Amino acid sequence: MQAAQTYADVNRDVLRPLFKPTPLWAGALALDLVVLAFGGYCWAHQLEWGLGVAGYTPPVFWGVYITTFVFWVGIGHAGTLISAILFLFRARWRTGIYRASEAMTIFAVLTAALFPIIHVGRAWYVFFLFPYPNQRELWPNFKSPLVWDVFAINTYLITSTVFFIIGLIPDIAAVRDGSTGLIRKVYNLLCLGWRGTDNQWRHYMAAYGFFAALCTPLVLSVHSVVSWDFAMAQTAGWHSTIFPPYFVAGAIFSGCAMVITLLVPLSKIFEWEEYINVWHFEHLAKLCLLTGSVLTYAYGIEHFIAWYSDNPYEWGIFVDRATGNYSWVFATMVFCNCLAPLIWWSKKMRTNLYVLFGVSLLINVGMWFERYNIIASSLAHQFDPGAWVYYQPTWVEMGILAGSFAWFGMWFLLFVKLMPAVAIAEIKEAMRPPLKHDHVEAA
Amino acid sequence: MSDNVKGVFAHLDSLLTGIQRVRKAGYHDFTVTSPLPRHEIEEAIYDGIPSPVRWWTMTGGLIGGSGGFTLASLSSAVWPMTLPGGKPVVSVPAFFVVTFECTVLFAGLFTLLGLLFHCRLPSLNLDIEVQDPRFSLDRFGLIVHGAGAKRAEIAKLLHDAGADEVANAEASHG
Repeated sequence: MQAAQTYADVNRDVLRPLFKPTPLWAGALALDLVVLAFGGYCWAHQLEWGLGVAGYTPPVFWGVYITTFVFWVGIGHAGTLISAILFLFRARWRTGIYRASEAMTIFAVLTAALFPIIHVGRAWYVFFLFPYPNQRELWPNFKSPLVWDVFAINTYLITSTVFFIIGLIPDIAAVRDGSTGLIRKVYNLLCLGWRGTDNQWRHYMAAYGFFAALCTPLVLSVHSVVSWDFAMAQTAGWHSTIFPPYFVAGAIFSGCAMVITLLVPLSKIFEWEEYINVWHFEHLAKLCLLTGSVLTYAYGIEHFIAWYSDNPYEWGIFVDRATGNYSWVFATMVFCNCLAPLIWWSKKMRTNLYVLFGVSLLINVGMWFERYNIIASSLAHQFDPGAWVYYQPTWVEMGILAGSFAWFGMWFLLFVKLMPAVAIAEIKEAMRPPLKHDHVEAA
Repeated sequence: MSDNVKGVFAHLDSLLTGIQRVRKAGYHDFTVTSPLPRHEIEEAIYDGIPSPVRWWTMTGGLIGGSGGFTLASLSSAVWPMTLPGGKPVVSVPAFFVVTFECTVLFAGLFTLLGLLFHCRLPSLNLDIEVQDPRFSLDRFGLIVHGAGAKRAEIAKLLHDAGADEVANAEASHG
């Protein structure tokens, strides 16, 4: 592939894969839809027969669904971290990868938002989650972290979606200007008739800066609020002040790993090595090393404080996590999150695409098991030994889990064929502008 | 025949010269289009006056924050449970999260409204057949409106500034 020298080269390279379904892409989408259909079938089965088809065993009523909810919310962190926080810090390596990461964020939060609906069982009552005045004088309890979570997740979803779409507008206009016929008309509607005038860019850049500033605290707040779903409860293994920073670090860790998982194949398949390459992946791997270290420290300090507190219930749960029924979950988590990323301390390893991809997959697995470890083991091993149980997910729960990956995958596959997955205008901003002065000097 | 004169520039410095000369010659009704935001263009036209979008953001933030806290407080007041432990009905620490989230949400939505309002979007009257596709690719445009009888003078001015192409244009104000 030719190197991008001019602004026109950027348009050429980024717009090339659009609207042309390749056999690989179509095959991936077909497979994805089959898995999604199975996930849909599992949910339909649960709607018909009730939550009894899930493996809930009293007192464990939070299982795979809440685990998967937290997992996807966590994945949804890296995109906004990359698009907003790194924008404010003017990190140059953000430019090539931020659009695809942001798309990943939106689709991950869209996926997460399904799980409270699935989890409540009777999905048609899900509107009870929202604060609305009703005939029974019943209002949601604003002192409950579950209500905070409704606000946190919805604000995050709406604000980051708007931020994402605003970023897309000038690039959709570029798609419009590079096409003809119906596509031109549709994309003109989608970019709202953007022209790129001085007036439009002036307000655009101001608004973009404000959005970045507004999204920055959201990155830190959303997973803090999610962690309070647990930390505010009087359950051993959950009731801890370390949870917000621990969850935020874990979310950024898993999100950056997911960005690596998605973008390594994307840059290869679309021949975008010039825009998304090892330089970007190495930075992401370094972010993973930092947040992974925070996470390892959090795992350690959790166990230390449980022992040091001399509280038998607290210590009991931590011993049980490491040695009881769920010890295999604990071991998977420690291996994937604490040990596997250590290989990235070697520069040779964190610049090898195969190692990057493989370890990022392990981190994804490890972070799902981390949430499973926190949720299932704490509930299955509460204060009264008479109530200790072993919760195991059923095929329905695992089918819905697989379906959630397919749901996410479907959006991502459609996105990369319909929208420019690399930010055209921002790549141009990072390039040296064309100056007549240069030509005069060269002559 | 349109009243606009369009200069197409391949180089940023020529465009900036063009803007400078057009302003100096007393024409203030013009539009610059570019495939990317460049702060030099903004400075050459607006002399450092910031965009009014910030007022929208602040208004939204204030409305959202006060609205969120009011929603939580009034909802609690309608169902005033006094729980053991003496937690107040209206509790600032407990309602902080909702207040914060509503501040960000409404600040964001108002910023969006402000952006659309000031950019005059959606622009349904854009004639896409006339829209020059080069302006989202690699060319800068300087379109002087209402040229009237001075068309030839403006065309020369743009040409001298370094425009690669000068033509009449149908493009509307932006």
